[in-house]
Amino acid sequence: MAQRQTAVAWASRNARLLAPLLTLICMIIFFSIVTPVFRTTQNLQNVITQIAPIAVAATGITFVLLCAEIDLSIASVATFTGVVAAWFWVGDTVALGAWGIPVALLVAAGIGLLNGYLVAYVGIPSFMMTLAMLTIARGMSIFVSEGKPIFEVPPILKSLGSVSSQFLGIPVIGLFALGVVILGDFVLSYTKFGRYVYMTGANREAAEMSGVNTRQVVMMSLVISAITAGLTGLLFIGRLSSANPSAGDDILIQTIAAVVLGGTSLFGGEGGMRNTILGLLIYGVLSNGLNLLPNIPITFKLALQGIVLLAALLLNVFALRIERVQTRAE
Amino acid sequence: MLLGAARVSLWSMTNQTTQDEEQLAQPSTGDVGPEPVLAFRGVTKRFGGATALDGVDFELLPGEIHGLVGENGAGKSTLMKILSGVHVPDEGEMLLRGEPVRFSSPAEAKARGIGMIYQELSCMPALTVAENVFLGSQPMTRAGLIDWKRMRTESGEHLSSLGIDVDVASRLGALSLGGQQLVEIARVVFSGASIIVLDEPTSALSGPEAKRLFAAMAELKARGASLVFISHFLEDVIAVSDRVTVLKNSRKVATLPNEGLTKHRLIQLMIGRDADALAESYEGGVTLPPPSAATPMLEVRGLGMTGSFSDVSFAARPGEILGIFGNLGAGMTEVARVLFGRERPTSGEMRLDGKPVAPKRTSEAKRLGIAYLSENRRATVFPRHEIYKNITLAHLDQIVGGIVRKPREVAIAAELVQRTGVRPPRPTLAAGNLSGGNQQKVALAKWLTVQPKVLILNEPTRGMDVGAKREVLDLIKALRAEGVAIILISTEPETVLAESDRIFVMSKGRIAREFAGERVSKDLLMSYA
Repeated sequence: MAQRQTAVAWASRNARLLAPLLTLICMIIFFSIVTPVFRTTQNLQNVITQIAPIAVAATGITFVLLCAEIDLSIASVATFTGVVAAWFWVGDTVALGAWGIPVALLVAAGIGLLNGYLVAYVGIPSFMMTLAMLTIARGMSIFVSEGKPIFEVPPILKSLGSVSSQFLGIPVIGLFALGVVILGDFVLSYTKFGRYVYMTGANREAAEMSGVNTRQVVMMSLVISAITAGLTGLLFIGRLSSANPSAGDDILIQTIAAVVLGGTSLFGGEGGMRNTILGLLIYGVLSNGLNLLPNIPITFKLALQGIVLLAALLLNVFALRIERVQTRAE
Repeated sequence: MLLGAARVSLWSMTNQTTQDEEQLAQPSTGDVGPEPVLAFRGVTKRFGGATALDGVDFELLPGEIHGLVGENGAGKSTLMKILSGVHVPDEGEMLLRGEPVRFSSPAEAKARGIGMIYQELSCMPALTVAENVFLGSQPMTRAGLIDWKRMRTESGEHLSSLGIDVDVASRLGALSLGGQQLVEIARVVFSGASIIVLDEPTSALSGPEAKRLFAAMAELKARGASLVFISHFLEDVIAVSDRVTVLKNSRKVATLPNEGLTKHRLIQLMIGRDADALAESYEGGVTLPPPSAATPMLEVRGLGMTGSFSDVSFAARPGEILGIFGNLGAGMTEVARVLFGRERPTSGEMRLDGKPVAPKRTSEAKRLGIAYLSENRRATVFPRHEIYKNITLAHLDQIVGGIVRKPREVAIAAELVQRTGVRPPRPTLAAGNLSGGNQQKVALAKWLTVQPKVLILNEPTRGMDVGAKREVLDLIKALRAEGVAIILISTEPETVLAESDRIFVMSKGRIAREFAGERVSKDLLMSYA
């Protein structure tokens, strides 16, 4: 009896992780039963390849959301970074070869620094700042590429992005994303900076009054988000073998949806990389599984995906209410 | 008779108390007084195993201001929560104008004319005063739009009839806290309340603001409203109440008429034990020790910030508590914020350990060894995060090294939780679960993970009961003994008097008087504020 109570208490305390986990398990079981194709190795490799680029950008956006800020520019920054890397590789104007890759990432970091400085030190709300940056970066992609897709990309990115490059049966792109995700979790859970991110998001004034340089924390989070967005852009051009200045817009919604689905709060301070991983898996399994479902009109799938996402969000809200009650009761 | 009792020795006073209690337990014996507008009869409320109220009787007469006092946890809030429909009593009954009632929701209580004014105001600072007065009941024109003209005229008339002099067109947020509170009271009265409960209304008010509040309360009383006044400020309670009820450990101790009531006597009833030690610092004044000759740790010269304070100069010495007293708005908090790098001064200089410093950010001040406990709990505590994370935040890198590990953090926090007397002493509990006083202790513990050179404490004991106050003051004394230079800021003279070695009084942004090596009393302090 007492044991059972402790188990219930534990479950309610950890509702923020358990709710998305439950959603994920239910989805996996459902799709495994309904569509036998779902559990084939090849399909699971597909799922991993699909979510890997999103996972990288989601790592950065997790930092930003934990700070109680937002970065709407990630999709444009991803595209721009890809275009820049490809542009240097083609080298009609400036030829840097594969060195264009780190240079493109530096450009992304520079964009993040600009976002971060103007948000944290000048005081532009991150929503507006990154909305402006969304437009600037998209415009720069079109300007640099002259509006046309670039069909030559560094081979190293191609081999990173392709489904066929595998290590022990796991797509390399998945391992790369896993590395980024684990690094993100390490920073958030086990470093001073990570704790500062949480506390800045939870109560900025109290963090400031504890001697935390909250402006720096916010700025660095936006820099991290821009860098991971840049990496996502590089993975994308590798996967598609081309850099298209007008592609990639849906990265933004996919990334934020995945992070929030995992249970990270949009209002800062709560959640984390473990939540983000679950959110990514839910998102990946859902979009993959729905495509495999027989007897559903293809035209209805997007709407259905939205409905299932909404249901998962409702479950999260409900779970958090339980968690809050439990914390109070203690 | 009571006045006489207060003057005799403590022993006989204790005996006297028992007699009085018996005598006062039935206030209506003999004479036929007015019918109480509200009466609690044998009200008991339990939460799980804990009894929050145990057979409490309470009567509120028409046109009466009734003080309700007791230590934290004595049951004041529970009693008022039953009145306001938040809780339902387990036993006993509540009579409203002689008729038994049972409120199952706050809305029900409100509909029956019960108005609550809490410490945390529930007004809308972004709206105008007029809109706040009419909140939820805006007058409409025939076209179905808000009748702004009528709203302004009527709210203006209403406020001035209560003797409240504010511009109804100004934004509420632009008023002082005291002004906002008066508007809230006006709103509650306007919405038809005839029983008004004020929970700690004066705790954040300056002297003149409190006077304005008391005037408004007297006006309401004259109109026949009944008021319950809950406060830790016993002088305030004595100043305005017709009768005072004392609760202790969930029971009623006594209901006393105002005549001859003293603070000393109330304290004695509230804590029920030796009040002598307390009485000394509260009433009689203290003699400050001879000034320390130690080299100053922090020196401030001609510090000023336009619009807040000017020409502030002082030195804080290691192993010394420098008390700073003043009313709300005297500029003490602003001085502290400048010292901690949260605000930039417009003039003057600071020296730390002899070297000129000018911290531009709190992180810089922290590295210099300056620590600051804010008076604003919302700016000190992370309620949704664990106690240990609250405590380790300030010096995370120094105490846990490069990699943050929970067991190490918890161990460090556990020690400090013990030292500061946080209850319950469980570092893994979310800080929001603690009572206000205990949250304050957690916020203080945060600055003790690494010994600061200068520790600035702004209202470190506000909202704490007598026992908790003593604990925190003892801790501050221990830090003094360890050589920390302590600056203790408070709007409560008792807090400053209790342990300070030197005392500054600030008034209107300037240091009005310095006391060192002399006898100083509460009255004297307040006369300079």
